[in-house]
Amino acid sequence: MALPLTDVVANAVMMSALYALVAIGFTLIFGVGGVLNLAHGATVTIGAFSAYYVSEVFGYSIWIGALAALLVPALFSAALYRGVIRRVEDDPITVMILTLVTAIAIEEIIKTAFGTQPAVISSLWTGQVAIAGGIQANNLLVFGLSWVIIGLLFFAINYTKTGKAILATSMSTKGASLVGIESDRMYLYTWVLAGAFAGLAGLFLGSIQTASWSMGRSPLVLSFSIVVLGGIGSIRGSVIGAYIIGFLETFTMSYVDSSLSGLASLVVLVLILLAKPEGLFGREFTE
Amino acid sequence: MVNEGSQNDGGRCSGNEAEGERNIVSSVRANADRRTFLKGTGAVGLAASAGCLGGSSSGDAPSGAFKVGVLTSHTGTENPIGNSIARSAELAAEELNANGGVLGNDVEVSVKTTNEQPQRGKTKYEELTVSENVDFTTGVFTSEVLLNLMDSIASQQKVHMTAGAATPEASTMLKDDYEKYKYWFRTGPVNAHFLGANMVDFAEANFSDMGWDSVYVLTEDYTWTEPVDEVLRNQLADAGVEVAGMKRYAGETSDFSTIYDQVEASGADAAFVAMAHSGSTAIVQYAKQQRPFAFGGIHVPMQLPSYWGLVNGACAFGVTQNTATPQSEITEKTVPYAEAYKGKVGKYPVYTGYIAYDAVMQYAAAAESADSRNPDDVVAELESSSFTGTAGTLRYYGKDEEYPHDIVYDESGENGVRPLWLQWKPNENGDGGSQTAIYPDSLASGSYDSPPWV
Repeated sequence: MALPLTDVVANAVMMSALYALVAIGFTLIFGVGGVLNLAHGATVTIGAFSAYYVSEVFGYSIWIGALAALLVPALFSAALYRGVIRRVEDDPITVMILTLVTAIAIEEIIKTAFGTQPAVISSLWTGQVAIAGGIQANNLLVFGLSWVIIGLLFFAINYTKTGKAILATSMSTKGASLVGIESDRMYLYTWVLAGAFAGLAGLFLGSIQTASWSMGRSPLVLSFSIVVLGGIGSIRGSVIGAYIIGFLETFTMSYVDSSLSGLASLVVLVLILLAKPEGLFGREFTE
Repeated sequence: MVNEGSQNDGGRCSGNEAEGERNIVSSVRANADRRTFLKGTGAVGLAASAGCLGGSSSGDAPSGAFKVGVLTSHTGTENPIGNSIARSAELAAEELNANGGVLGNDVEVSVKTTNEQPQRGKTKYEELTVSENVDFTTGVFTSEVLLNLMDSIASQQKVHMTAGAATPEASTMLKDDYEKYKYWFRTGPVNAHFLGANMVDFAEANFSDMGWDSVYVLTEDYTWTEPVDEVLRNQLADAGVEVAGMKRYAGETSDFSTIYDQVEASGADAAFVAMAHSGSTAIVQYAKQQRPFAFGGIHVPMQLPSYWGLVNGACAFGVTQNTATPQSEITEKTVPYAEAYKGKVGKYPVYTGYIAYDAVMQYAAAAESADSRNPDDVVAELESSSFTGTAGTLRYYGKDEEYPHDIVYDESGENGVRPLWLQWKPNENGDGGSQTAIYPDSLASGSYDSPPWV
């Protein structure tokens, strides 16, 4: 039974925007700081549960919840960088172990505190919109907000002083220092941005699906594929990579088997690493 | 109603994760560039889980206080399925003690948690039967835990009355070696084969009135749904129902959009489901997406009396099979038990509570009737007895039948138990929702309503 193409495309376009949001944060930290942050998926989970507790448990509006989903993961990310990663950032093995341990610890804490049943986060916008045969208003809003945020980041990186300083740091820490840029502060900004992006993605994912202790795992694995495909450190590459992976995922799930979720992206990861390891857009951020 | 596999492991295994870390470290040492890290860490996402096995021992005949050993998954009010087992066994003991105990002895209850882990389950079972020398055991919600206990139950030669796990594999073991495994009984729920049979019975009796002429069967891919799937595949069409499609989906599915697209494209009137672990994610997305088909079947989370608040009303108009509800007068014992439980715990029990309460009461009655605490005497008594519990008439299949010592399923409810069906309906004042029994007719307090968006 063939599914209507418009439904599948609409779903792919929306999910890809979410994937892009997660992957951009991941690639920023990697491209600028050279840190492989395996706790990035757990930051997504923190965002979702921050929104859940503020809006569903404490009873505030979902928009206050959204603010929490932005701030709490950003603060967490900053604390993780300042408290842990900065001390060991020159030792990539220790960084990976520490971020992995952090991710597992966060999952266990959420599992213990909340339990294993998924949490329901209210929709940001309820109802349907009459586009392409009817799209959920919430999905449309998530898609729109994701693109606004991605657009703002593009603007900030390319046209603001701090953005350019982040870019410079990513290209050469020494060079940036020579012109008076504090690389340590730029790293911190990057972590805060990545945390906020992941947190918002968590809120969006939670409001479309549900929030659970393990919800960050799949976005983390997808981010690997997206970032490698797009070219490590490239924001543009991450967005395009997210759309390629997002479409591939959705079409595989819709037309082959829904159980194959995640497999297509891992196949792409392996193929790209073997055939074109620099990815589609090489490295905009180089050392 | 049923649960196979841990809700807690999430596909993760500490042993494999350690292996994954070692791989990462060695690959990083070989070539310490960023891309190699990515390649190595990709393996972490592929980590898988593994099962465990253990041994068994034996114990002495019980004396002194009459001891009930309870194995439950978890305790605490945030775990209603496990907590209902533990607190209901305690409630039964309190009521028995208020009436003079069992064979003149006080009843004591000892509760242990399995955390849904087979090996831990076995260790705790042995603590109960060997160290504490209990008279009999009840509980066990997870089928994998139960199957890992079967040999211990055989070697301890103490009666175990399962309350929760639904796998038919346990009774199949009796079928193959009755003498060895005869100390095992399942007080409830009906085994997974009969869960499927009851779905077909419900379909035959109600689907035409409900407007469910064509259904799409969705079952989560866990062991417990395999017998359910088989029954539905073989019998649903014969019951006059058009099956628009059947799908077993991965138990860890987090995005149901494409699955629901398929149900919608098939033109089915309803999704006929068997879901436990993935049920909440599925019903929440169904409600948010306002899909143009109805939703019902065996949906374990929807059986919780407090479920409406947990999912912000996403269960509205959902239908599920259940063992009992606090308001349904299946027998004269059902409502008093549910109210007594609420008085003790502050909340109504879930289905496992009714079963655990019945198990303790039935065992005590059988021991009294046999005037013996010898397990062999009680086994003989249980095999021949018919006991009115909170969940219905409790009888067990004989050793020559298809599922020996499984609770008897009877569509009429007269000579065995039969599950009931309920629908979640919004309250008229717009504040919350409640479970309304819709089948069988003798227990129904309302009729089925189609979701208004369908």
